[in-house]
Amino acid sequence: MSSTSLAVVMKNFCEEYIKNTPKKLKIVDAYLFYILLTGVIQFVYCCLVGTFPFNSFLSGFICTVGCFVLGVSLRLQANPQNKAQFHGISPERGFADFIFAHIILHLVTVNFIG
Amino acid sequence: MLGLAVLSLCIASTLGMNTLVLVDTLATRETHSIFLKSLQERGHEVTVKAADDPSLQLSRYGEYIYQNLVILAPGVEEFGGALSVEAIVEFIDGGGNVLVAGSRDAADLIRELVTEVGVEMDEEGAAVIDHLHYDSNDDGQHTLVAAPSAGLIESDVMVGAKDSVPLLYRGTGLITDVENPLVLPVLRAPSTAYSYNPSQSITDYPHATGHNMLLVAALQARNNARVVVSGSLEFFSDAFITASVQTPQGEQFERSGNGKVVEALSRWVFKEEGVLRVVSVDHHLVGEKEPPASYTIKEDVEYKIKVERLVEGAWKPFQASDLQMDFVRIDPFVRVTMTPSTDGVFSVKFKVPDVYGVYQFKVEYNRVGFTRLFSTTQVSVRPFTHLEYERFIECAYPYYASAFSMMVGVFLFSLVFLHHKETPPKSKAD
Repeated sequence: MSSTSLAVVMKNFCEEYIKNTPKKLKIVDAYLFYILLTGVIQFVYCCLVGTFPFNSFLSGFICTVGCFVLGVSLRLQANPQNKAQFHGISPERGFADFIFAHIILHLVTVNFIG
Repeated sequence: MLGLAVLSLCIASTLGMNTLVLVDTLATRETHSIFLKSLQERGHEVTVKAADDPSLQLSRYGEYIYQNLVILAPGVEEFGGALSVEAIVEFIDGGGNVLVAGSRDAADLIRELVTEVGVEMDEEGAAVIDHLHYDSNDDGQHTLVAAPSAGLIESDVMVGAKDSVPLLYRGTGLITDVENPLVLPVLRAPSTAYSYNPSQSITDYPHATGHNMLLVAALQARNNARVVVSGSLEFFSDAFITASVQTPQGEQFERSGNGKVVEALSRWVFKEEGVLRVVSVDHHLVGEKEPPASYTIKEDVEYKIKVERLVEGAWKPFQASDLQMDFVRIDPFVRVTMTPSTDGVFSVKFKVPDVYGVYQFKVEYNRVGFTRLFSTTQVSVRPFTHLEYERFIECAYPYYASAFSMMVGVFLFSLVFLHHKETPPKSKAD
C-alpha cells in the first residue's frame, strides 16, 4: 500500500517537475546534481584511502559543498516564484554575486589544497 | 711531608671540607678517635669543640665557616655561642651536611633538632631491646643489639659493599614518616626488636617495633644537603668499631661491621661519595654541530649530556645505563634512555614530535645515595612553514581534480546559464 502510494507520489512529482519547472532552473538542477556527485565521490574516496592529505580532502570537499550552496542560492534567486522575496535585486545582480562568491571560494580552495 | 700537608690542605680547601665536631665532654675525642682520625685522613679540617662552648658559630660575615657539622653530644641542654636548632636548620638549608648521634638519654635539644629533619627519637630512657639479636657482652638487658647487616639500605654508595657481619648498636630507636621520600632508612632494626625502657615492665605497646624502627636514618634534602641521624653515640665509637661480636645463635665475628659502615656513611654524609654533576649539555640536529635557533616538527635531533661523579676527590666520568631524557611540553612527549659512553657523555637521537610549542630537554636522575641530578634546556619547536609542506601528492589527485572541475563547472555553467537567458522570450513568442 505504502509502496504504491510512494510510487504514485514520485510519478506525480516527476511529471510536475518536467512540466512546470522553467528550463533555466533545470539547468541549475543539473549543475547541482553534478556537484553533488563530485562531492560524494570524494567522500567515498576519502573513506577508502584514509585522510592522509587532510587539507587536500578538506579543500576539495568543502569546495563542492560551497559550490552547492552557491548554486542553491542562485536557484532561489532565479526562481520566478520567489520574485517577491528578492524584490529590488535584479537577476543580473544575483548572477554577479554568484560569480564573485565563486572567485573567493576558489582562491581559498587553491590556497589550501596544497 | 710538608708537601703532603700542603697537598691535603689544598684538597680540603677545594672540596670545602671544614668540619666542626661538637662533643659533650672532650673525652669523646678519645672514645671516637678512629672515626675522627679517618675524617682527618680524608682531608677534613676537623675542629673539635664542646657543644656549650660560648664561642661557637657556623657562619662569619654571612658565609659558612664549616661545610660539615658532627654532633656527638646527645646530652647537651643548650648549644653555646651563636648555635641553636634554628641556626643548624638554616645551615642545612644553606647546603651544609650534619651528622647527629643520640642516645637513650638524649636531651630535648637533640630531639628537637632531629624532628626538624623528619626523624623522631623514642621517649627519654627508652632503648632498643632485642632478645634474639644481642651481643654476648651484653649486661643482661639485651640493649647491646647486634643488628644483622640485612637491615642496611640497598646502596653501596651509602653503606659500602654488603657483607654478613652484624653491627653493634646501643641506644634509642628512631621513627620516620614512611611517606617522606627524602628520609632514607639506612639501618633498620631486626624484626624482633622493640624500643622501651629496659628497667620498667612493659605496660603499653612500644612506640617503635620491628622493621618500622630505624637505628640509623638519613635525609637528603632537596638542595642535596645530607643529614644522618643515629640513635646511638656508641655506634661510632672505637669500642664498637674494634669489638668482636658473638650472637646468641653461636655465630662469631672477629670485628663488628661498624667500622666499614661508619667509614662509608661518613663519606656519604660529607658528600665525598655519591655526588653527581652536569658538566655540559649539547643538542643539535643529527649531522650538525651547532644548536639551531628553533627546531621544526618531525626533525631528527641529537641530545648529549656530560655527567661526572666525584670519586676520591676527583671528578670522573659517570657510568650508568638508566639515565633518561624527557622532551617535555608540560607532559613528556618523548622519554628515552640514553646511551652511555666511557667519557661520561650520554647521548640519544630522537624525532621531534608532530606537535609544536616550547619544549624542554629534561634530565632528572634520582637514585638512592646519589645527589639529585637535574638539568633542563629550553628550545622552541615550530610548525612547517608554508613552503615546507609536501605538494602534488599522488593520492590527493582526486581532490585536485574535483577542485579544478568545480572551476570549469562554474565557467561552463555560466556560459550555458547566460546564453539560455536570451532564449525564453523566443519560446514565449512561439
